[in-house]
Amino acid sequence: MENGHEDHEEIQIEEIRDEFQCCVCLELLYKPVVLGCGHIACFWCIFKAMNTWRESNCPICRHPYHHFPSLCRLMHSLLLKLYPLASARRVKQVAEEEKEVGSCSHEFDDDLSESRCKTDLVPETASPHSVSLQKCGSAGEGNHSSIDVSLDTVVPATSSSEINKDAISKNLNFADEHTSASEKQVLMTDLLCGICELLLFKPVVLNCGHVYCENCVINPSDKLCRCPVCQLEHPNGYPNICLVLEHYLEEQFPKLYAERKRASVERSDCQIPSKLSLGIRTVRHIALIQLPLAFYHKILSGMTGNRDEAAGCKSVPRFDLSAWLTGGGPQVHFEVGCDYCGMCPIVGERYKCKDCTEKIGFDLCEGCYKSSSKLSGRFNQQHTPDHQFELIQALQVRNVVLRLLQPERLEGNDSDFQLEYGEPRSLEVRPLEEDSSETNSPRDDLRDGQVGNISSSGTGDDDGGENVQTEIR
Amino acid sequence: MVDLARVQKELHECNRDVQVSGINVTLKGDSLTHLIGTIPGPVGTPYEGGTFKIDITLTDGYPFEPPKMKFATKVWHPNISSQSGAICLDILKDQWSPALTLKTALLSIQALLSAPEPDDPQDAVVAQQYLRDHQTFVGTARYWTETFAKTSTLAADEKIQKLVEMGFPEAQVRSTLEANGWDENMALEKLLSS
Repeated sequence: MENGHEDHEEIQIEEIRDEFQCCVCLELLYKPVVLGCGHIACFWCIFKAMNTWRESNCPICRHPYHHFPSLCRLMHSLLLKLYPLASARRVKQVAEEEKEVGSCSHEFDDDLSESRCKTDLVPETASPHSVSLQKCGSAGEGNHSSIDVSLDTVVPATSSSEINKDAISKNLNFADEHTSASEKQVLMTDLLCGICELLLFKPVVLNCGHVYCENCVINPSDKLCRCPVCQLEHPNGYPNICLVLEHYLEEQFPKLYAERKRASVERSDCQIPSKLSLGIRTVRHIALIQLPLAFYHKILSGMTGNRDEAAGCKSVPRFDLSAWLTGGGPQVHFEVGCDYCGMCPIVGERYKCKDCTEKIGFDLCEGCYKSSSKLSGRFNQQHTPDHQFELIQALQVRNVVLRLLQPERLEGNDSDFQLEYGEPRSLEVRPLEEDSSETNSPRDDLRDGQVGNISSSGTGDDDGGENVQTEIR
Repeated sequence: MVDLARVQKELHECNRDVQVSGINVTLKGDSLTHLIGTIPGPVGTPYEGGTFKIDITLTDGYPFEPPKMKFATKVWHPNISSQSGAICLDILKDQWSPALTLKTALLSIQALLSAPEPDDPQDAVVAQQYLRDHQTFVGTARYWTETFAKTSTLAADEKIQKLVEMGFPEAQVRSTLEANGWDENMALEKLLSS
């Protein structure tokens, strides 16, 4: 009976393409977020799948990430247009879930198309970095290499963008004529890159949820990838191309997309450096690029977001479990995420808003607190810039974790242990059942944990303690 | 709370291409949290020709926590306990991802049947035999398949035959038996009362 009912309901909504189905809830993607690896899932699905105790992994490819991405507004409006009925059903469904949970996901307040917002914003908030990006982007379209532009004056850049405007209007008509009835509303203007103002080519979605062409936003000479609109740095190396979106663009605008591809290939043929911006997949496969090996490795590690490399070039502190257990490294605020950059758990200092009354709270990591970016919260908090923050100390859960890891070791020298760490003030507050899930996973780090205990309690066996401690370093 | 909508979808999806994959998931009782999965033994292995039942229990965290799976059919395999049917497979433990489904998990178990990992055993005795005396292992595994993974279907056919002879339509007999865990008497009672 239930199945029959379900089927009946299915018929009333649109047939959803497989790639627009969330891999976690198996429903139409709703409020999609795109991870650095380019995979998409619903906001709530990723939120629930995230590990709030340590690094999380992409549900599809297990690519590690530390930052919960913002909603991808472009994808969101695209899906609303493509599947109005199914979306309406999802809106209702998620609203009920949110009521149960007691916190809301971010709501978009107006209906402006994302690309338009972006272009309006760019001149206002432009930093030297974003200006150079803009130049690269717009000039890149006119078959110039990005290197040429930065040397040239601005004149060729503007002329080429004029040509592009013509191309856009021409292709708008094209899109109107050739799309099917259900997808008629999706125009090319919905899918423009905020930098080059052309149809997205090899789209990448940054951690802040903004979408750009890979060639526009990734500057191979710069290890960082910063969003020109919100100024947020994309963490953990470069983002991968969002293949679902690319595939859709390719299908929806075949002619224009092929044109963009051709332009990009021509550009990369005439200059080797611009090949670097083609993305890691291409670089990996182009074994024929004759570059010094060291150089090649440097690019590879930079592009794959090699973790060591990425950590080196970032101000973002990273969570290292073994260091944390031994008492070194920055403090970790488990189960708390930053509302600007999405870092979860927050590593380093945590600033909590005193005036936000929402259940989920409003927290910032040190980097975001000190930056000037003004974003809204991830959970639709009514946070305003005049709210006051307070610095929060991390709960001292280390003792609990150590105790759970090896209870027999601690029994003897419990008093020493407490002396070393001071009063375990917040131990009672921390619900223990949440610990159990964590303590199962870091079994591999058990040895590190023991070391931490030995060296920190100061009463450990003299023969073993010293040796192992040096091993860690 | 278990995401029931997702489980429904999964069941629907799984039963749609059961002809292709051979993998079937059915309800054990009324609840969507207790299920029975069946996988055919992979061709070219000692498990060929057998049909293996797997007991599935969904915990509250599903799909964010792995489903609990164990063999209900006795099987001779280094990574499956010959006593309890417990399965040693990483994706059912710490390598679980919410993007995996019951079907993909069952497919992985099927793959495990054709590619044992004796270096990471669940059943030490079987693993020893697999490594030291492979021929005996194959023999035992085949014997267990013949004895435990095939009789159930034979017995099932017999049971169906018996009830059909009593005058019930075959389709109804089959579904009633399935719903009652192949318990002849219970199925008969249900059939009589319906």
